[in-house]
Amino acid sequence: MSLNVTLKILRSRPHQAQRYETFNVNVPDAANVLDAIEQAWAQHDRDLMFRHACHHASCGTCAVRINGAEKLPCIAPVREYIGLEIKIEPLKNFPIVGDLVVDVASFFQKQEASDFTITRPTENELDGRPIAHTDGLDSESAAIVPFNRFENCIECGICLSACPTMAADHKFFGPAALAAVKRQLDKTTDANERAKLLQLADDEQGVWRCHSAWECTEACPQNVFPAESIMALRQEITAQRFKNFFRR
Amino acid sequence: MNLYRPELSRFRFLRWFDFRTWRLGMLAYILNRVTALGLVLYLYIHLVVLTMLAAGPKSWDPFVAIVRSPFFLALDVILLAGLLIHGLNGLRVALTGFGCGVRAQKPLFVALMLFAAIALLIGAIKIFTG
Amino acid sequence: MSSKPHVLIIGAGSTGSATAHDLALRGLRVTVIERGEIASGTTGRNHCLLHSGGRYCVNDQEGAIECIQENLILRRIMPHALELNDGLFVALDDEDYAFQEKFLAGCQECHIPAREIPVEQALRIEPFLNPNIKGAVQVPDGVFEPWRFCTSFLATAKKNGATIRNFTEVSDLVFQGNSVAGVRVFDHRTGKTETLGADLVVNATGAWAGMLAAMANVDVPVAPTAGVMVTLGKRFNNMVINRMHRPHDGDIVVPIRNTSIIGTTSWRVTSPDAIEIPQDQIDTMMCAGELLMPILRQARQRGVMAVARPLIASANIDARDFSRTFEAFNHRKQGGAAGIITISGGKTTTARGMAEKVSDVVCAELGINAECKTKTTPLVSYRDFYN
Repeated sequence: MSLNVTLKILRSRPHQAQRYETFNVNVPDAANVLDAIEQAWAQHDRDLMFRHACHHASCGTCAVRINGAEKLPCIAPVREYIGLEIKIEPLKNFPIVGDLVVDVASFFQKQEASDFTITRPTENELDGRPIAHTDGLDSESAAIVPFNRFENCIECGICLSACPTMAADHKFFGPAALAAVKRQLDKTTDANERAKLLQLADDEQGVWRCHSAWECTEACPQNVFPAESIMALRQEITAQRFKNFFRR
Repeated sequence: MNLYRPELSRFRFLRWFDFRTWRLGMLAYILNRVTALGLVLYLYIHLVVLTMLAAGPKSWDPFVAIVRSPFFLALDVILLAGLLIHGLNGLRVALTGFGCGVRAQKPLFVALMLFAAIALLIGAIKIFTG
Repeated sequence: MSSKPHVLIIGAGSTGSATAHDLALRGLRVTVIERGEIASGTTGRNHCLLHSGGRYCVNDQEGAIECIQENLILRRIMPHALELNDGLFVALDDEDYAFQEKFLAGCQECHIPAREIPVEQALRIEPFLNPNIKGAVQVPDGVFEPWRFCTSFLATAKKNGATIRNFTEVSDLVFQGNSVAGVRVFDHRTGKTETLGADLVVNATGAWAGMLAAMANVDVPVAPTAGVMVTLGKRFNNMVINRMHRPHDGDIVVPIRNTSIIGTTSWRVTSPDAIEIPQDQIDTMMCAGELLMPILRQARQRGVMAVARPLIASANIDARDFSRTFEAFNHRKQGGAAGIITISGGKTTTARGMAEKVSDVVCAELGINAECKTKTTPLVSYRDFYN
C-alpha cells in the first residue's frame, strides 16, 4: 500500500555551496514524485524550497530534473522509480533561487514578447469528436467571452532546460517562446500582426539559432512540439523571402 | 535578488555530454559536433601534408609508404565514417531546417545512419583490399 | 510614500492575492508574504472549478449568489486565466429528476442563467456521459488556472506599488502592547530573519488561519475540512459535469487542459499540512464518478490529492453542510489583539469578493475612505508578475 523512497535532492542557496541531500520518505504507492518531495518538506526539512501550484500539470511551476531528465513531478509516478534512488535537481539553463526553485523572470519576458495568450478559441473537435457549442446561453453576461480552451503550453520551462543551444547561450529565445510565436501566428489573420511575429522569429536570437537537437519536443510534457514549430516558422520566413525576392 | 547563476558558467557546454539525458536527437547533435571538429582537424593536417609535395618525391615517397600501413588505413576508415555521418546528418538537418520531413526526423536519422554504416562497410573493404 | 499606511498580507493564495490587488488599488502600501510558491496551499490543490453557483443554489443560496456574481466579474477582469466551457447538471435517476424543478427554481432565485437542454443534445456534447440520464441543465460554470489566477492579481498589485515576497515565512508576530505591530519573517532564499513593521496585518492564510491567529492569542472558527480529488490520465468531458442533487461525495467531474478531475469528499482534519488520504475516500469517489460517466471505470488515475478547505465552522453541523460563504474577523472588536484582521472561508471563485470585504474592514480600521474598484479593473498579464 505504501512505498519507501529515497530522494536525493540538490540543495543550493546563493550563499552556500551546492550539495546533495538524501531524504527517506514513505508515500502511498499511487503517489507522484511531487508528493514525495512534499513529504520530505513536511517531515524532514521545512527549509526545502520547491514550487508547485496545482498538482495536475496545469500551472507549470513544479518542473525539475528527475534522474537527469526534465519532468513534471506532479504527474511522475513514484512507482516508475522502484528500487532506484530518485535524484532531483533544478532545471538547467536557469538561475537558481534556491534548491529546486529557478528564476523564471527572463523566461516569462520572452513568452510575453509575442503577446502569447494562454487561451485559444475552442477548436471544433476534441479527440476527433465534434463539440457542439454553437448555442450558448441566452444570458448576455455569460456570453461575454466565447467558449475557450487553454493552450497546450503550460510555460513550465522544461524545453529550455533540455535545449543544448540554450545551454550555450541564455539569450536565445528558446523553444517555448518560439512555439508561442507560432501559436499566435496561427491565431491571427491580420497581415501587420503576422509580419511582426515573423520578424520576431527571424531575430538574431530567433529560429535560426536552433541546431535541430529536437530535445524540446522530446522533453515537452504537454505535446506542444516546439521544434516542429521552429521548423514551420523557418519555412514560412524562407517562403516570404523567396516571394519578396521575385517581386522586386 | 541574489541568485546562483549556473547558466552563466564558462563550462556550461560540458552539460551537452551529460549522457543520462541523451535521446536520439541529442545523439545526432553531439555526433555532428564531434565529427565536425574531427573533419576540421583533418583539413589542417591535410594542408600540412600537402606542403610536402613542394619538397618533391624525395620526401613524398617515404610518406606514402607510411600511410599504406594498416594503422593509417584504419585512420582512413575513421575519416570516412566522420564524412558519412557528418554529411548525411547535415543533409537531414538542412531538410528539416526548412520544414521538410519534420515529423519524420527520427526515421530519417536512422535510415541515413544505416546507409552510412553500409557505405562505411563497403568503403572499409575497398580501403583494405584496394 | 511613508505617509501611506502599510498593510502586511500573510498568504499569497487566491484570497491574499486578491486582497493585495484591492488594497493596492485603493492606494495603500501593501506587502505580501508567502511561505512557499504563489498559490501553493489550498488554491494549488484545487478542483479549479469556476462556480456558477449551481451547486449551492438550493441549500446555500447566499453562497450561490456570491458565486454567480463573482463568476461574471472574473470573466471580465481576467479572461486569460479562465477556461470557459460551461457546466452540465445531470439527473441520474427519478429522485434527481424530481430535484430538477427545485434546482431550476433555485437557479432563478439566485439569478444563475440556467437552461434545460434535451438529453440527446447533452449526450451529443458529452459522449461519455451516462446514457441513462433523465435530464440535463446547462449553467455558466468554468475552470480557472490557479497559479495564473493568483499571479494575475499579484502582477496588478505590483504594478500599483505592492511588494510581493514568496518563500518568506512568518516565524512570529511582533506586539506593541496588545496590538500587532509587525511580523518576524524568515526568508528561505537568504536564510535571514528580519522584522517587518505594519500598520495592520491581514491573515489570509486560509486553512492555516487558526495557526496564525494562535500566535496573536486570538481564535478564529476555521475548520480545515479536507477533500480528496482524483485526476485522470485523459480529458473525458468538454463541460463540467455535476450530478443534480444536494452536494455529495464524488458528484462532479471537472475537465481542465488534458485531464478530468473527480471530486470531492469532505472530512475534518486537524492540520492542513500533509494530509493523509484514506483509500476508502478514493474508492467512494471513483464509484460515484462512474455513475456520471461509466468510462471512468477504465480511466487511468494520474494522481490523487487532498486539500484543506478553510471553511467557517458552526457548531452541530456536518462538515459537508458548512456554508461556503466567507467572513472577515476584526479581532480587536471581539476583545482580542488589535492590528490583525483574519479573512477566511469562501472559495477561489469568490476571492475577489472576499478581498473587497476584508479591504473594507481594513480601510475602516485605518480610518481611510477609499472605494473598491476591483469589479471593473481588468488585470494585467500574469507574466508581469516577473517584471
